[in-house]
Amino acid sequence: MTMPYISRHPLENRLPLEPGIRAVDHMDVPRGTAIATVMAMDGEDAAVAAGLAVAGDMSLRFVAPGEWLAVSQSDTPEGLCRNLSLLLAETASVFDQSDGRVVLRLSGPNVRRILAKGIGIDLHPAVFEIGTSSNVLCGHISINLARTGENEFELIVMRSFAESLFDDLRLMGREFDLSADFSAQG
Amino acid sequence: MTAYRLTSGGLVDRGANLDFKFDGKTLTGLSGDTLASALLANDRLLVGRSFKYHRPRGIVTAGASEPNALVTIGKGASTDPNTKATVAELYAGLDARSQNRWPSLKYDFGAVNGLLSPFLGAGFYYKTFMWPAAFWEKVYEPIIRRAAGLGRVVLERDPEAYEKCWAHCDLLVVGSGPTGLMAALVAGRAGLRVILADEDFRLGGSLLAETTRIDGVSAQAFAEASLAELRSLPNVTIMPRTTVFGWYDDNVFGAVERVQKHVAMPQAKLPVERLWRIAAKRALLATGAEERPLVFGGNDKPGVMMAGAMRTYANRFGVAAGRSVAIFSNGSAGYQAAHDLAAQGVEIAAIIDSRSDVADVAPAGVRLIQSGSVIDTQGRQRVSGIVVERSGFEETIACDAIGMSGGWNPVIHLACQRGAKAVWSPELQTFLAPDVGNGLVVAGSAAGRYTLVGCLADGAQKAAAIAADLGFSAPAEAMPVVEEDIDPSFTALWYSPGAKAKAFIDFQNDVHVRDIGLALREGFGHVEHAKRYTTNGMATDQGKLSGINATGLLAAMQGISPADVGTTTFRPFYTPVTLGALAGTSRDEHAAPVRKSPLHGWAQKNGAVFVDSGLWYRPAYFARSGEKTWRESTDREVRNVRENVGLCDVSTLGKIEIFGPDAAEFLNRIYCNAFLKLPVGKARYGLMLREDGMVYDDGTTSRLSSEHFFMTTTTALAGGVMSHMEYCAQVLWPDLRVRFCSSTDQWAQMAIAGPKARLVVQALVEDDISDAAFPFLAAGIVALKGGLKARLFRISFSGELAYELAVPAGSGEAVADAIMEEGRAHGICAYGLEALNVLRMEKGHVTHAEFDGRVTPDDAGFGRMVSAQKPDFIGKRLSTRYGLTAADRMQMVGLKPVEADQHIRAGAHLLREGAKPSTLNDQGYVSSACFSPTLGHDIALAFLKSGRERYGERIVVWDKLAGADVVAEVCNPVFVDPGNAKLNV
Repeated sequence: MTMPYISRHPLENRLPLEPGIRAVDHMDVPRGTAIATVMAMDGEDAAVAAGLAVAGDMSLRFVAPGEWLAVSQSDTPEGLCRNLSLLLAETASVFDQSDGRVVLRLSGPNVRRILAKGIGIDLHPAVFEIGTSSNVLCGHISINLARTGENEFELIVMRSFAESLFDDLRLMGREFDLSADFSAQG
Repeated sequence: MTAYRLTSGGLVDRGANLDFKFDGKTLTGLSGDTLASALLANDRLLVGRSFKYHRPRGIVTAGASEPNALVTIGKGASTDPNTKATVAELYAGLDARSQNRWPSLKYDFGAVNGLLSPFLGAGFYYKTFMWPAAFWEKVYEPIIRRAAGLGRVVLERDPEAYEKCWAHCDLLVVGSGPTGLMAALVAGRAGLRVILADEDFRLGGSLLAETTRIDGVSAQAFAEASLAELRSLPNVTIMPRTTVFGWYDDNVFGAVERVQKHVAMPQAKLPVERLWRIAAKRALLATGAEERPLVFGGNDKPGVMMAGAMRTYANRFGVAAGRSVAIFSNGSAGYQAAHDLAAQGVEIAAIIDSRSDVADVAPAGVRLIQSGSVIDTQGRQRVSGIVVERSGFEETIACDAIGMSGGWNPVIHLACQRGAKAVWSPELQTFLAPDVGNGLVVAGSAAGRYTLVGCLADGAQKAAAIAADLGFSAPAEAMPVVEEDIDPSFTALWYSPGAKAKAFIDFQNDVHVRDIGLALREGFGHVEHAKRYTTNGMATDQGKLSGINATGLLAAMQGISPADVGTTTFRPFYTPVTLGALAGTSRDEHAAPVRKSPLHGWAQKNGAVFVDSGLWYRPAYFARSGEKTWRESTDREVRNVRENVGLCDVSTLGKIEIFGPDAAEFLNRIYCNAFLKLPVGKARYGLMLREDGMVYDDGTTSRLSSEHFFMTTTTALAGGVMSHMEYCAQVLWPDLRVRFCSSTDQWAQMAIAGPKARLVVQALVEDDISDAAFPFLAAGIVALKGGLKARLFRISFSGELAYELAVPAGSGEAVADAIMEEGRAHGICAYGLEALNVLRMEKGHVTHAEFDGRVTPDDAGFGRMVSAQKPDFIGKRLSTRYGLTAADRMQMVGLKPVEADQHIRAGAHLLREGAKPSTLNDQGYVSSACFSPTLGHDIALAFLKSGRERYGERIVVWDKLAGADVVAEVCNPVFVDPGNAKLNV
């Protein structure tokens, strides 16, 4: 028996399959993001960080000292893990989390105010600068938060919490009519 | 008519009439009114009945310290009791009702308490309703609660929305009066991130009621210009209608913003209240000062009001508190009120000053009585006159309102909330805030600098100092010029001597001077005892008006300084905060997050009935048509797994990927059994102990390559085990080269169990999984037909031939669907937690029902697993303690009822036959019990003293909760296939 196992996104029950009308404050949900945990071996933190800094085609999210999430919109999960393993060799362990994590991108002029309803850290751009990322609590749920632009944030959440976080974000964004849909580019 | 709307003046919009209701009667106010000012404008002096004696009470203040004018606003489930009319912003359609009266405010049955008042002194209830003891809860307290008390809480579900929010700033300024405005301006201009919060709907604080001119314009225009500039600064956030109620660790302040309390129809997308947590590098308390009431006979009648409140009503709201007002004062503030009221055309009946030789000047033509004492007031539901005593001469002066002014108390509540005690100032005759470090600085009137010049300068200076401290430069600026400043001088007067009626200290709690005296006489003279004994300073106002006078009187009665009496303890909240605001959005489905398995959709399709399991939703059982109870479904699922095959979602188990050259050594120390030499491609059951030798968690761990292990934990302790491992890796053994991460969410994991499991799994898997190629406890990566990579483990919780298959979570549902499709020919069924539990009990497998934190490996029958060879592992040392190796420890056994139709429940205790139920006779307890469809009767796992030596013995299962004693036989806990013949096929 051979089956093409179709992969499901955990927010398929929450979002229409086709993009809808965007409000100024919008939550964009990419369907296929390659994500991998990178863990530097003892004493290799700096070497791994330097290696990752020059690796193209991916963004890095800080998780813990010597631990990152590498995120790629263009690579496949296998491709990302292969490239990372080749690049980092014995200095780090790499583990595919593409199915275990869900990415949500928030953008718009009121996004900081929306996020301040759940996130306790200071999101002022002078404090949480573009390119910064951190593990934080959003309400009851642990996420990785990254600032990708002045008014753009990327949230990475564990798959099992994705629906709850999504519901919470919709509630937080209600004041600003936050819209949400799957990314057009897949 | 007494109180009335002045023909002009005030910051109200005289073109905008607002209709509202009070006790069902429609009245009209103006935009810009509070409910209190609108009631006064309608000459509604009587607004409530007092707590204990049900005395008629009127509006006393114009702010948050109001003790009397507590009303219930709103209808049905949206009802708010105990709202202060003095801070409730008026809106069209506001529906307010008075409280604590029956049948009506004017004719209140409870007022009979006033006649009984000689018997209702402080402590009366405690002394009187002492016996019989059982009567207190059942009879006395409900009656007293009904008679006394404030507004009634509504028990319906609150339909309004609330939310919580975080804010961050360099400087939080609390209060927008002259001090706060100046501080915010200086800090804002210097570039600090400033939050200016004020509880009022209109900002400006005391400036809104001042008649002087600042920088050549009215105080109100000065405030408006300052606010306009603040609004233009992008680094300044202005928060009106926001009460900063608490000061917490790390300089975080709690505040509640009334977003939609002033609208008749709240917008659905906005909360009615928003709870703020403001993390401030620095805070400046510019909360001003509260005018002190005077304690004199009959001082609680409607019409007796703070002189400053009268000024506020006249100047800010354009409302006169009476047509003929008497002023009783011990300082200059009373004269200011008299001048302002006289200027508005209000007659001043007299000024009675407790001082002699005063320099203050009464308005032209107004009689001034120096060294006077007010000993009583006349009138029933409102004041009609004032009785003044002077050197033995009593005189009644007609008036319809009395303004009292007893000096000033800085509002220092927030600064005292974290343990530091207020400090008595002999010069200012009041308590000042203690030095609480540079996180919170008190300025202006709140720091005892009462003049406008003092407030403006203090706010500016302290803000500049904070700016410099934070590395900003604040250029020196010229201070605004104040034309005529206020004079805050007064001479403290704790009690106006010779009272001929009750002289109240605490209006809200009906505490009068004699109550304080009684407390002192009966040994409750400590200020904290006196508070509890008399109830002075309790309930919604928390002694904002009464606290200082209680301290002053306790001192005066003992002939000591108020410094030696001190204050009661200040605690959050400054003013009451609704439970709705504290809960925010964390209610109903948002109270806790829901975790969903990647197979949730598959389970739904197959008819799952879900159960909460921690945060997870897990299928309890899969109901089929015709099955009426969970037991019917569960029994079918169990039989089907034993006879054919079943599929169970085990994705919720904790999963951890462990990497590194020292991963094996790390596991060897984490688990009590050996892991160092686990071959690649093998899974092993592992038992984790706590340092105290008790079992912590269990699971299987597989070696996928020499430096890559895959651990599973129980669902319940997935997070705990991860933290434990982090602690071990970072703190205990930082030298070990090991890294790990959670992969719980990456994998959809399913157990395929039953004699036909291989037939089903082999149909999907490319690799050979025959017993020879993939024996019991084999583990490895396989390819599914079609190419998908998966992990396969030959492990069994049910005791049947079983596999666990893990695939990337996104593909989980499709793979589970494929297994069901492939398994249909073999009679596959989905099975849930209930069946899983029965299957493992039949096999004698343990869960956290057994591992409850009191159980050693040996207790559970794993004694031989604990490695004697390993040099160390977590729990090794303490495992050898005498108590943990004693022969009479409770050991896990199986139980089966002697009569097969009898039931055993978990939690029941075990007794020897004939023994009396007692702790002393306790032989053990049942940890898990179920009906075994395989055996046709109940079975149980239990812990019994020296249990393994007692197989075959009869024991009483004593279940007081179910009221049943069942005789059971002690047996081996493995009920099904003790020889493991089914595993190795």
